Amino acid sequence: MWRTSQNFPIFRFVAAILAAFTLSPFSPLYSAQNSALALAGTPADPFQKSQGKVVVLVFVRTDCPISNRYAPAIQHISAKYESKAAFWLVYPDKSESAEKIRQHEREYGYKLPALRDPHRALVKLAQARVTPEVAVFDASRRLTYHGRIDDLYQDFGRARHAPTTHELEDAIQAALNGHAPPASTPGVGCFISDLE
Amino acid sequence: MTRSPRTLAVMFGICFAIAAAAEQQDSAPARLPASAGSRVTFNRDIAPILFHSCAMCHRAGEAAPFPLLTYKDAKSHARQIAAVTQRHFMPPWLPEPGELKFAGELRLTAEQIALFQKWVEQGNDEGDPSDLPPAPRFVPGWQLGQPDQIIKADKPFVLPASGSDMYWNFIFRTPLDRTRWLKAIEIRPGDKRVVHHANILVDRGRSARRQEAQPGAGFAGMEIRVESEAFDPDSHFLFWKPGTVPQPEPDGMSLRLDKDTDLVLNIHLQPSGKQEAIQPSLGLYFTDKPATLHPVLLQLENDRRLDIPPGEKNFLVTDEFTLPIDVDLLAIYPHAHYLGKEMQALATLPNGSVKTLIHIRHWNLNWQAVYRYASPVSLPKGTTIAMRYSYDNSDENPANPNDPPRRVVGGNRSSDEMAHLWLQVLPHSLPHATIDPRMVLQESMARHAVEKNPADFGAQYNLGAMLQARGVQDEAVQHFDMAVRIRPEDATANNALGASLLAMGSIDEAIPRFSVALKTQPDNFDAHYNLANALASKDQFREAIEHYRAAILLHPDDANVEANLGAALAEAGNLPEAKFHLERALGINPNHELARENLAEVNRTLHNQHP
Repeated sequence: MWRTSQNFPIFRFVAAILAAFTLSPFSPLYSAQNSALALAGTPADPFQKSQGKVVVLVFVRTDCPISNRYAPAIQHISAKYESKAAFWLVYPDKSESAEKIRQHEREYGYKLPALRDPHRALVKLAQARVTPEVAVFDASRRLTYHGRIDDLYQDFGRARHAPTTHELEDAIQAALNGHAPPASTPGVGCFISDLE
Repeated sequence: MTRSPRTLAVMFGICFAIAAAAEQQDSAPARLPASAGSRVTFNRDIAPILFHSCAMCHRAGEAAPFPLLTYKDAKSHARQIAAVTQRHFMPPWLPEPGELKFAGELRLTAEQIALFQKWVEQGNDEGDPSDLPPAPRFVPGWQLGQPDQIIKADKPFVLPASGSDMYWNFIFRTPLDRTRWLKAIEIRPGDKRVVHHANILVDRGRSARRQEAQPGAGFAGMEIRVESEAFDPDSHFLFWKPGTVPQPEPDGMSLRLDKDTDLVLNIHLQPSGKQEAIQPSLGLYFTDKPATLHPVLLQLENDRRLDIPPGEKNFLVTDEFTLPIDVDLLAIYPHAHYLGKEMQALATLPNGSVKTLIHIRHWNLNWQAVYRYASPVSLPKGTTIAMRYSYDNSDENPANPNDPPRRVVGGNRSSDEMAHLWLQVLPHSLPHATIDPRMVLQESMARHAVEKNPADFGAQYNLGAMLQARGVQDEAVQHFDMAVRIRPEDATANNALGASLLAMGSIDEAIPRFSVALKTQPDNFDAHYNLANALASKDQFREAIEHYRAAILLHPDDANVEANLGAALAEAGNLPEAKFHLERALGINPNHELARENLAEVNRTLHNQHP
């Protein structure tokens, strides 16, 4: 007699969730039509231009008060790791023109290369939700950290006097030394999904 | 003749921080109005709320970081709007709804907040263009029209790009040639995106200038103190916060501004990420009508009880004051620094009924404000006003400036804590009394403060000043003496003690007091004048003349000093110069009786000498 299927032992594999950090095995690739753009309007690949370095994408917006308040801190951290980490400002708002972005960089004292990301290619890659958030990629282009820069803001209108954690710097150092990065923590700021 | 001394008014300086305590989510189910069931649209549902409650700040040139005037504006911040309204962060309005209404309440209803949520959930529809209400109209430039006079800060203050909040004080030298009455002062604080609020103190004694490193430089500081003359307390709240249209003072409550008065503008600044130059200006609006109604600022406080251990989440501070006369309460201003959590002010009327004057569940120094009642609140004599504040000095309070938390005590620095409640009241005039009801209130306040803390210099001084003004010199001397024991070098207190001693005829005790005052403050006009009078009454005219002259150098147009200098010169036998100064006294005040009589006497004598 055939045994009915009910009598078969059913083996289930439980997908164990390991508490260790996992890296997204990802090598960014762009198709020419949806890639980020340099301010000159040409397609730009921040990774290709930053070979051998840790890459940091910083998502900002000209009219976001929280990302603007971070400008001096972003500039400071980028200068500190200049030789080892390549910083890129990423403007996801497609209505922000290259000229508006150049003026914004001048006003806030940014000395970093800027990219427009009208198709959200970098936003998706970095899993960015709000401005300001950062994404850190190690030298083999794996996303090791994404989220807030530090814990200055706890919520809208609730800023500390000074940050007590420094996720971005910790993440850069981890990527440089091959250590475990800090846990990804969402930032407080202006929702990128609100943009057209 | 003694010059009336000054009271010390520790005025509301202001602070900032960010909210305390965990936000309470509004869990009330969203109830939709008439449009329930249909889709929420920008044109019909969202635009009216934005135009009414947001656009006064969210438009070009105003405080908010982006405009909210069009569909595109709103859509590009839609989720953010839904989030900040749901958490009651926007629009900024701290008081809980209650029986008493405030003017210009900015609170959204639960229905309005739910509309924003729904709008986002349903995909941000624009809707039918015919539903869109007309865009709000705003007055460009000065909100009250072209001012009668504009004064601009001498030089800008440069706010750094980064760092924590800052407080800066600009001193405006008013360009008046005589006493004027103001129906309004409009504050244009400079770049509104970095100025969180601003506040004017009337400095009749120009006392804040001593804090400037160079004239016109301004000075830093969150809480500032000015000295003001007795019976003329700073009785008007002159406060600016984003989005407020300045309100002219009510009829009869015009603000007196004398020649030689300074206006000190205390502003709270938050760095924006780029360096900003802040150069505020003030618009003065004059009226011909002098004040006929004289409001008073009452202060409840208990800074002395503030000694908050690290980690303490609910530290309570209270104070109570019972009104000695009937008043109308016009406005209220609660104040704490970064650790403030919940604030409540209650009035228990003589009939036992209790009114909540204000209740702030989640204090946020960032959005502190003066709240004016929609209509005056009548509080009869015998009403007890109680303040009840709580503080959170744990690391759960994100505004806590210390990481890890440490012990915090009361004080004026921004790192100290405060427990203040200011009330603007209009005292009812007292029946069949010649006493100014303001004096009764001030004396009660000062006595209450002395009872709370006999070691409080300001309290002892102010009670002395009230008693001195009422002519109760012996009791005044007791309190001034206490003040001087607390601060032996203080020029103002030594001068006041000397003045009361002089009024009692204790000249030999008075003279050393003035000398101490002048040692601390060689340019103290009052002390020169009082010392000169004391010396003159001991017939030491040569020394008296010296101090009258020093006083004139400081205030060249004071008729009393000119008259007394004339009298002293006459006594010393210098009649031609006496004549010159008596004539100057009459030039300043043609009705100066003493100068007129003395001048007649001098002229008679001169005529007899050289007929």
